[in-house]
Amino acid sequence: MTSRLLFRTALATLLPAVALLAGCQHPHPPGQLVVASKSTLASVDPIDITGTAGLQLLSAIGDPLYATDAGGQLEPRLAAAPPQISPDGRIARIPLRRDVLFHDGSRFDAAAMVFSLERFRSLAKMGYLLDDRISGVRASGPYELELQLKRPYSALPALLSSISLTPLSPKAYQQHRNRSLADRFVGTGPYRLVSSTPQKQTLLPFARYWGPAPRNSGIHLVTLSNSTALFGALVSGEVDVLMSSGMESDQQRALAQRARQGRLVEGIGPAGEIGYLTLLSDRPPFDQLPLRQAVAHSLDRELISERVSYGIRAPLRSLVPPPLAGSTPPAWPTYNPGRARELYQQAGYCRGRRFTLPLTFRSNVPADKLFALTWKAQLERDLGDCVQLEVTGVESTTAYRQVADGAFPMIFFDWSADFPDPDIYLAPMLACNKAKGAQCLEGNAAAAGSFWSAPGLQANLEASERLSGAARLPLLLELQQRAAAGAAYIPVWQVAPRAWAQPSLQRPVFDGSGRLVLQALSVR
Amino acid sequence: MSRRRHLLRYLASRLALVPLMLWLIASLVFLLLRVAPGDPIDALLGMRAPPEARAALRAQLGLDQPLPVQYGRYLMDLLHGQLGDSLTNNEPVTAVIGHSLPASLELGVVALLIAALVGLAVGFSGVARPEGKTDLAGRLYGIGTYALPPFWAAMVMQLVFAVWLGWLPVGGRFPATLVPPSGTGFYLLDSLLAGSSQQFWGAMRHLVLPASTLGLLLSGVFANALRLNLRRALDSDYVEAARSRGLSERRVVLRHALPNALLPVLTITGITVASLIGGALLIEVTYSWPGVAFRLQEAIGQRDYPVVQGIVVVVAALVVAVSVLVDLLVALLDPRVSF
Repeated sequence: MTSRLLFRTALATLLPAVALLAGCQHPHPPGQLVVASKSTLASVDPIDITGTAGLQLLSAIGDPLYATDAGGQLEPRLAAAPPQISPDGRIARIPLRRDVLFHDGSRFDAAAMVFSLERFRSLAKMGYLLDDRISGVRASGPYELELQLKRPYSALPALLSSISLTPLSPKAYQQHRNRSLADRFVGTGPYRLVSSTPQKQTLLPFARYWGPAPRNSGIHLVTLSNSTALFGALVSGEVDVLMSSGMESDQQRALAQRARQGRLVEGIGPAGEIGYLTLLSDRPPFDQLPLRQAVAHSLDRELISERVSYGIRAPLRSLVPPPLAGSTPPAWPTYNPGRARELYQQAGYCRGRRFTLPLTFRSNVPADKLFALTWKAQLERDLGDCVQLEVTGVESTTAYRQVADGAFPMIFFDWSADFPDPDIYLAPMLACNKAKGAQCLEGNAAAAGSFWSAPGLQANLEASERLSGAARLPLLLELQQRAAAGAAYIPVWQVAPRAWAQPSLQRPVFDGSGRLVLQALSVR
Repeated sequence: MSRRRHLLRYLASRLALVPLMLWLIASLVFLLLRVAPGDPIDALLGMRAPPEARAALRAQLGLDQPLPVQYGRYLMDLLHGQLGDSLTNNEPVTAVIGHSLPASLELGVVALLIAALVGLAVGFSGVARPEGKTDLAGRLYGIGTYALPPFWAAMVMQLVFAVWLGWLPVGGRFPATLVPPSGTGFYLLDSLLAGSSQQFWGAMRHLVLPASTLGLLLSGVFANALRLNLRRALDSDYVEAARSRGLSERRVVLRHALPNALLPVLTITGITVASLIGGALLIEVTYSWPGVAFRLQEAIGQRDYPVVQGIVVVVAALVVAVSVLVDLLVALLDPRVSF
């Protein structure tokens, strides 16, 4: 009797309470949208920001000097025109717009740009963006910025399209000239930051923005910590737009399916992230070129892409992802088990002797693990008499720490460029300050864990940095062909950012840097 | 010596051990973080920065100093009540904890209330007929909540109530389009103080799922503890004596058996509170609840040494304080306890 009474009382209390709570949903203010992603944001100060979530936010509340559009074309934003480069290529003068205001009402000018760049150079965690290329910054006029370059650099506008270099109001940051301001931001972007916590940022349109006004009346960026919650939040209508960063392939596929059925709208941006293998080329077993080339022919990218990500991670046979210059035609070979077998035989395997291919992957990155296991199965199926894959997982920070010590014969990594230019994909893997034959003793190639170089490669890279446009293209292709022949790096896939919106909204669009254009989000 | 003096001596001895325990915990967490492979620079920059830039940032953050120097500085700061600044955004660690601890405590308190209410009700419901259907169901409930993996239970609750039925939010602590109330950091309390029903219901809607999941998972502990202790109490001589005096069964249970059965439950509550201060990690992560455990998990991923160290030390201090308090409470309430 007592228990029945208890049960009835509980039911009589709980059901109305749940009904009451369910009915208490707070409606969105008209025109404002909730955009969800996985990453939390510790700081909104450009000097602290290193991750996708921060850069995405900066792209809405800040402005770069130049911007890359969806077609890969650079256009001036806060700059009034392309940079004027001195004949020796070491001085760049950039005319600035005169009609720009900061969110605090102060005027944007060359002095503000110098303040922001100097602050970035001295304090930023990503200060390396400028360190290697720029030796000085000054205002050569009230609205003209002068940059002293360490060497001629044709990709300067692309570098200056990095949103990390967005200007900040010197007035607002006077007290924070030498330290971070984590929860406030005063820049020039189409939105002003109204409030910020690691899990939620509220943006409202900046009424005195120099450019086109946002098409919505505000954005609430929220963080949900796992892929299932993100999926559920979009499907249940709790959020309006969902960004793919950090989401698992299963859920991305389900959302893409819903988009095909018209239950959501999907936008896809340009791929900025690549997944690739690095082979340690100066030590056995991969000091043998035929073995490295055999590995390059052993990779069935289409199958792996389909099995690991349902094709979401598209196969890639170039270190530079499309649509960047030099990405086509791809330099790396297609899957060719016959040719791979020949090369393994050339290296002394296949005739009753199996080569043990040691692959290390980052154990805390789910896609890496799936790649390792799928490739293992594919090799077992197609080349099982010649090769077997031995997979080992290590935590990513361990991998980053030990890779430059030559700790991994073959490791799977990903790479995201800080700004869209071919150089930013090639130089970090191929540049070498000191080489001995095909061995890189010092420089990026050693730090990247391949220790691979080739005579004349560094000179080609430096020449590529100086050239631009059509003149640069043959050099970019040659660099990749040489890298493909050396087979110390093997590109596997590319990852394009995606976003899904409720069907009542316009299709989400991305800029050329792979950031979702928040100001373009609107109701149909 | 009087009981009161004994009690004071016991309290003093427990409190004297606190600094030693905190020093041990602080030193252990410092060492473990340094022994673990990878450092904040690896976590922040990955492969992106060249070696020189990585070295420069390492020096900027003071991570290039010899370990004893870093340890000495850390202990000196601790002695002065300073927990340092986060390596990811330079925010003082005290502020990080100040933002996240109220969220964990709010979740913990509500979950504990649910756990106690449901657990005690379930534990008590079988008392009338031992080994009957209700008693059996209660036992199964207790075992079931022990056995359920928290993240799985949380995901199922999320799927059913947030995604399928759409009754409650999937995660987070407050509606995205509302401004959270300011004040103590306890949103329910702050919104009540601010007199905003919109904020209150917004906070409540977000709290219901995580608190219910956590509460129901913990309630089995209470149910089993009460059931076992109540059975033991009902079989004891003093209950038999009460019955033989002609007291009603209701009076025997409520006045004689239940108070004695609740004492061990108090100890369990203490242990549960202590574990909840550290946060129910999987619940906070699944529901994107911005509590101290969620922040700790992020900080470990980022190798944000000062934040990890600060949270561990503060949580350890709170756990020690709660366990001392519970011990004292039990000692005060139960005359059989000697110290």
